[in-house]
Amino acid sequence: MDKQSDIVQGTLDMLILKTLALEPMHGYGIAVRLEQMSKGVFRPNAGSLFLAIQRLQRDGLIDGEWKATENNRRAKYYVLTKRGRQRLNSETREWGRQAAAIARILEAS
Amino acid sequence: MSLLRNLGSGLRSLFRKEQVNRELDEELRSYFEMAAEEKIRRGMSPREARRAVRLEHGHVDTTKEFVRSAGWESLVDILWHDLRYSARGLRKNPGFAAIVVLTLALGIAANTTVLSWISATLLNPIPGVAHTSDLVTIDRGDRNGYATPPFSYPDLRDLSEQTQTFSGILGYHNDYMSLTGVAKPERIFGALATASYFDVLGVNPILGRTFLPEEGTPRAGRAVIVIGYSVWQNHFGGDPKIIGKTIQINRHPYTVIGVAPRGFTGCATGLRTDLWIPLPMDHDVWGANRPEYRGVVWLNALGKLRPGVTRNQAEAELNLLMQGIVERFPKDHRDRSNEISLDPLWRSRFGLNGYFYKFLPMLLGLAAVLLLLACANVASLLLVRSVGRRREIAIRLGMGASRQQIIRQFLIESLLLGLLGGTAAIAIAVWTSRSLVAFFPPSTLPLTNDAHVDQRVLWVTIALSILAAIIFGILPALRSSSLPVQTVLKEEASSVSLTLHKSRLLSGLVVAQISLSLVLLVCAGLFIRSLQKAQQSDPGFEASHLLLASYDLTPAGYTLATGTEFNRQVLARLSALPGVESVTLADFSPLSFSIHSDYLQIEGYVPQPREWMEISRAIVGPNYFRTLRTPVISGREFTEADKPDSQLVAVVNQAFVDRYWPGENAIGKQVTDGGGRFTIVGVAGNAKYRSLTSPAEPVIYLPIYQQFRSAQDTTIHLRTTGIPQMMSSSVEETLHQLNPELPLFNVNPLSVTMQLGTLSQRVAVTFAGSFGFLAMLLAAVGIYGVVAYSTRQRTREIGIRVALGAEKEGIYRLVLGQGFRLILAGLVVGTALAVAFTRLLKTQLFGVSETDAITFASVGLLLAVVALVACHIPARRATRVDPMVALRHE
Repeated sequence: MDKQSDIVQGTLDMLILKTLALEPMHGYGIAVRLEQMSKGVFRPNAGSLFLAIQRLQRDGLIDGEWKATENNRRAKYYVLTKRGRQRLNSETREWGRQAAAIARILEAS
Repeated sequence: MSLLRNLGSGLRSLFRKEQVNRELDEELRSYFEMAAEEKIRRGMSPREARRAVRLEHGHVDTTKEFVRSAGWESLVDILWHDLRYSARGLRKNPGFAAIVVLTLALGIAANTTVLSWISATLLNPIPGVAHTSDLVTIDRGDRNGYATPPFSYPDLRDLSEQTQTFSGILGYHNDYMSLTGVAKPERIFGALATASYFDVLGVNPILGRTFLPEEGTPRAGRAVIVIGYSVWQNHFGGDPKIIGKTIQINRHPYTVIGVAPRGFTGCATGLRTDLWIPLPMDHDVWGANRPEYRGVVWLNALGKLRPGVTRNQAEAELNLLMQGIVERFPKDHRDRSNEISLDPLWRSRFGLNGYFYKFLPMLLGLAAVLLLLACANVASLLLVRSVGRRREIAIRLGMGASRQQIIRQFLIESLLLGLLGGTAAIAIAVWTSRSLVAFFPPSTLPLTNDAHVDQRVLWVTIALSILAAIIFGILPALRSSSLPVQTVLKEEASSVSLTLHKSRLLSGLVVAQISLSLVLLVCAGLFIRSLQKAQQSDPGFEASHLLLASYDLTPAGYTLATGTEFNRQVLARLSALPGVESVTLADFSPLSFSIHSDYLQIEGYVPQPREWMEISRAIVGPNYFRTLRTPVISGREFTEADKPDSQLVAVVNQAFVDRYWPGENAIGKQVTDGGGRFTIVGVAGNAKYRSLTSPAEPVIYLPIYQQFRSAQDTTIHLRTTGIPQMMSSSVEETLHQLNPELPLFNVNPLSVTMQLGTLSQRVAVTFAGSFGFLAMLLAAVGIYGVVAYSTRQRTREIGIRVALGAEKEGIYRLVLGQGFRLILAGLVVGTALAVAFTRLLKTQLFGVSETDAITFASVGLLLAVVALVACHIPARRATRVDPMVALRHE
């Protein structure tokens, strides 16, 4: 359903962790932030987004809390847990390593 | 652990479904609204904005479903839903559910029962020893006859000292002993055992210790004893200070050194050992010194293989070692083949597994056929029921349910039925598993039977229920889920199932039921005929009107002289009783596994190399042949005159003469055993003492007044003119007049005790018979159900036929013909299956071929008649169809 660019399998989780590393955010906020940060390349569909959120929550990487929004609407805000922050760091490092490796391969040929 | 957290979160969603659902709903809605607001801010109208959001993300509810269905808990939720749906469906149809559950319960319970017996015997050969896969029994010699102890002590000692493949070898000799020195002397089954006995088995005493190596050395042995748990409890009240106390066996004192753990009853499967004393104590118990002689073969042997050694390697090694022993001591090894063979315990020839290992798997095969039949029966019921549910299924398919969902729903229902059936089966089997013991007639054999539904059996039963559920559930599920939805929904209810009576699947299931029940009925028939043959076969003696009663003189302190005198008085007093036709004594009774055997040297007969010269030997009193009504063919039988100081005499049977002195006159010839040289004075007719189903074997009879042996039962054989049981109290009184303290045991008519000789036949008849009967019932119900159902579906068609002038007879034939074709097909397939299956029964049958034409024909006829009667009912109903009613029938 992701009409934009298919997010590489498994990276959506990492991207969500990244957005939450800056500040706690609700679901829509995460979607908007992802779109902004990727300059419109990634626009996750609500289904995939909440699936990923549910998964991250079950793995204990993020925590949710109901709060009022600036428009006085109730929304569930997610924050990164300690484990989530560790995971983000390790995944970022791993991603960097892999991306660099892939880039080298592509350049070599 | 995140797994734990995942589980917690999943469980939360399961049990607080409403709240989790509401939260997700709220979250998604606010997401969608925020997305819409954003678009409105960019200048869209509210309507356009919502439309755009929906186009981008789909509907809220669809999204919610998508997110929700990703968690594992949603699968559980669906299965739970299916389960509740199935349970509701079955509750609405309790008759159907009850029949299915009962059918399955009977089919599964048959398997569970046989499995519990297998578990208690073949799979748990030594209760109290968990790990038996590296234990083997060691046998020597001819394997065709009955098993007798194969080793002498010196041979076994040499083997266990020289072997590299065994980490230990034990030897034992089981026999009756008497616990004396207590208020009421009691017969027990004890073992003389090598010092290695408990160490090889890995059994540790719960009190004290077991034997030390030096306690097993001939001449150095000490009078010590290890008692079994039940002896400790029953005779010594579980005395915690029993160690070091002295108890008496056969009036000799023994010091208790240990108590065996609860449940351990020795290493001969199915036979109970109550206590253990070291081998050298033989002279105390029996006054013999058997451990010293290489030529005296009296020990059963069992060995523990070293890790990594195979049975074949060990067998090869022992044969090599044995060869060396035979070369050094040729004189002691002439009369028996020295070929050593090893058996895993499940088919060991020592104990009951030798009988069970072929018989129980065969019973399991029969039970499996019954279960398969039950599955076919249930499958046809489900199929018929599913036709009634076609509309429901079509609607669900039409509403968007996938085929997998329908199949899953059906399989869940089958699983529910299967597990209900399995639960009922376990309840039945808790009772039937103990029934094996009911087949044993009263006897002095120390039989143990602790068959019960153990954990292993329980798990297999559950697995079996699930397997059965898949077998009977898969076809109806596949068939019902592949519906042409449009057609079904457009069809009228009455015409919906018109296709069913032509359904090949349903017909196939009926044919399967008929043919499987034929298989079981044929087996039952063969066993019944075989039992009849066995019971009608002439055993060579007349069992009716004979009362048996046994006593044991040794623990009571009798000697050769006093014992002989006591026996003489017993015979004199008993023969004077009114109603006694004749009376005699013997050291055994027919067909109760109590006859002894002896090594003989026979005048003028040169044994073949390695020929087994151990021959059945009966010690009998005067008038034995007259009392048993076994004919004396030539010469005479024993009389009061055959005394210790007269010439030693013997009688042999016809089989003995045929084997060793064919065509010669046996009278006057001589035979030698360890006890002396006997002159043959008579030849008796053949009688079967070990088994009704094998041909009579050679027997030598010795007179009791010349052969008083210690520690052997004496059994009174008393022929009455009336009912034997009526004599038991006067026999007991007579004995107690002679000696008030001598216990008399096993007072029973011979016709009762000799049933042990047909044990396996009777078990087989009972089981195959009840399986066959159940099978026939199921098949009849199955064919009735299908014919009745399809006839009802054809009511309209039949109505039209009647309206067009069809005769009642024609209608009757139409319906019956449908059933008849199915029956015929079932009989043909069943006969082919039965021919293949009964081959497995060959070794269990007696006097009847496994393809016995009479059995096949009569059983086939019986089944055909029963099945036709089952079809007759719906056929008759069809002839009474009123065309006016039928045409309006919906």
